[in-house]
Amino acid sequence: MKHLPAPKGWAQPLLQPSTEPWAGLRAAVAAGPQGTLQRLEGAARHQPTARVTVEGWRAASNATGSERYVVGHAYEGDPAVFTSRLLLEANAQSVVEGLAIAALTIGATEAILAVRADEAAAIRAAETVIAAGLRDGHLGLNAAGSGHEITISIHPLQGSSMISEPTVLLKALDGKRGQPEQMPPYPSSIGYRGKPTVVSRVATLAAATWILAHDAAAYAEIGDPAQPGTLLVQVGGSIAQPGIIEVPTGTTLADIIAATGGVSRGATLKALLVGGPAGGFIPAQLLAATPYSDAGLATVGAHVGSGAILALDTTVAIPELAAMLARWSADEACGKTIPCRIGTRRLAEIGQRFVDGLAGPADAARLQALAADVADSALCAHERLAPTPLLTGVRYFEREFYSVAATPVAASTAKGRN
Amino acid sequence: MARIPGGGIVRGMKLTLTRFFQPKRTVLYPEAKPDIPPRNRGRLELVTDEHGALKCETCFQCAQACPIECIDMGGTDTKGRFAVHWGPAEQYAERREESAARRSGRTVSDAAAAQGSSIDLAAVDAALERFDYDPHAMLGILEAIQGAYGYLPVDALKRVSRVTGAWYAMVYGTATFYKHLAFEPGRTRSIAICRCAPCLAAGSGRVAGTLTTEFATEIGRAIPWSNLRLEALPGHLLDAPSPLVVIDGEPQRDLSARNAESWAAALAGRYAA
Repeated sequence: MKHLPAPKGWAQPLLQPSTEPWAGLRAAVAAGPQGTLQRLEGAARHQPTARVTVEGWRAASNATGSERYVVGHAYEGDPAVFTSRLLLEANAQSVVEGLAIAALTIGATEAILAVRADEAAAIRAAETVIAAGLRDGHLGLNAAGSGHEITISIHPLQGSSMISEPTVLLKALDGKRGQPEQMPPYPSSIGYRGKPTVVSRVATLAAATWILAHDAAAYAEIGDPAQPGTLLVQVGGSIAQPGIIEVPTGTTLADIIAATGGVSRGATLKALLVGGPAGGFIPAQLLAATPYSDAGLATVGAHVGSGAILALDTTVAIPELAAMLARWSADEACGKTIPCRIGTRRLAEIGQRFVDGLAGPADAARLQALAADVADSALCAHERLAPTPLLTGVRYFEREFYSVAATPVAASTAKGRN
Repeated sequence: MARIPGGGIVRGMKLTLTRFFQPKRTVLYPEAKPDIPPRNRGRLELVTDEHGALKCETCFQCAQACPIECIDMGGTDTKGRFAVHWGPAEQYAERREESAARRSGRTVSDAAAAQGSSIDLAAVDAALERFDYDPHAMLGILEAIQGAYGYLPVDALKRVSRVTGAWYAMVYGTATFYKHLAFEPGRTRSIAICRCAPCLAAGSGRVAGTLTTEFATEIGRAIPWSNLRLEALPGHLLDAPSPLVVIDGEPQRDLSARNAESWAAALAGRYAA
């Protein structure tokens, strides 16, 4: 997947290779664990997810016992997203440095980078940086002169899209069946092998490196003040130039589409699927008013999710796509909680009834009620977000859903049932 | 007495009234403790010290002393790797197999068991040696075994369970969960359909529907007239077109939702020839 050049004025803290390698780690050594946490907190401001990240690091650094772990998370659950892979290929230095910073901050000696097994180039890039770090004394027994030992290993994984869930990732690293765990206890108190663990996405680690190498206040200036920073977005579908672009938070969806060259020639944009296979549909008329951030996407029923944006033209039938995405979520479910194991299947069946024109009047209410139950009982994000395509589809493309459902066949079965 | 109407009620009320005037039997646990016979052990539990560490040092004396042999006991060595049992082997060796089967909660299907009848386990031992007999590296061990045999023989899993001390249920659970691990030999060729969001939007759902109808099979099953299997692709290949269908790792570029039917017929024709 191609790395698209960002328009002028968009900051690129993640994908732009740092001019001065290991500067972030040196700054972390100089600041000490508490100083590092303070600087990260300064960059996170009041943003909820970033706060959770920093609080997780703090909790792990305050945990009892000496054995702790850092896990760098580069496993994409979305089968068509390559953002972590691109980040590792383009800027493995920042990710490896971020792992070392996290290990130093929480007092861990061992850091693990979990990647997809088929991403050979990304693994090679990380290995090169680790080897160089060991050779030059930035890693190893006395990492960057801190007196602490930091060992970084790469752990290739494959076999299930559920591995992208943090608690499932820890299970997979431990050689166990990949099912999520209830939180709390969070991995920061009981994580990898039962020890306090920080699980951070590679983009988070690269951002931490940038913050320490540069300035927390400068990072807080990037993007939406309520959620500072950038996000890696993979834009695909009916797009002139599909690829991955680093987007400051709060950029509107219309601007992102424009930055990737706009809709492909001859196609008319109907909607965007934002967030991957469990993402939400956003109709074309809302794009100019919707900022790409957690809060902005939540108002239209979508979420950042896997970081994928799929442009759908007018040839795509939304009910059919929503039903097939629900089926995918059902097939990928690990089966730990019953509402996820059975509820997602029932959701897919309701979606299929809409597609086949067999949906009765009760199906829309049933869809809403079941989706609420499935989301409420969720043990992990897979279950919580699985109903999103169907819910946003019904919300914005109601007419398309019911135009099929209002066929004579549907009317007669509905009458027979009541 | 049973014939007299209301006799049952009279008998019932007699018991009720008798108990009504007796002292109350509710015990205000935990303020008041019930009177328990001194030999009662209730539920067996291991005792922990004030730091939360187990006091049990796996000396096996409790299992030896247990008159009805309901206590079975095992532990791991100081590095958490090898399963160890203290005490004479004849006391527990046979029980361990049963216990593993019982804990797993499910029996191995006959077909799989038949395939795993007699294989050379040298490659299994080599894989275990390479991963230091560490049950935490179970995924790596299983991948190495699959690399050596092409699939996971049941005897190999049993060996892994016995040597690493991991419960058979845990080994089996890991082996069944991850989709790249297989229990059946001969998974040589496959037609895999990508079901990522861009592919579904480009019509891979319809392609999958057409192929299952044309080949009279289902996703995850063999195609009757060939040595091919129809599968779901675990992840989209970089820079591959949508909808993506992969035959033996080779992306097919001349396929779309519209021509799927003729494409399937052409493939079937090539196979028949």
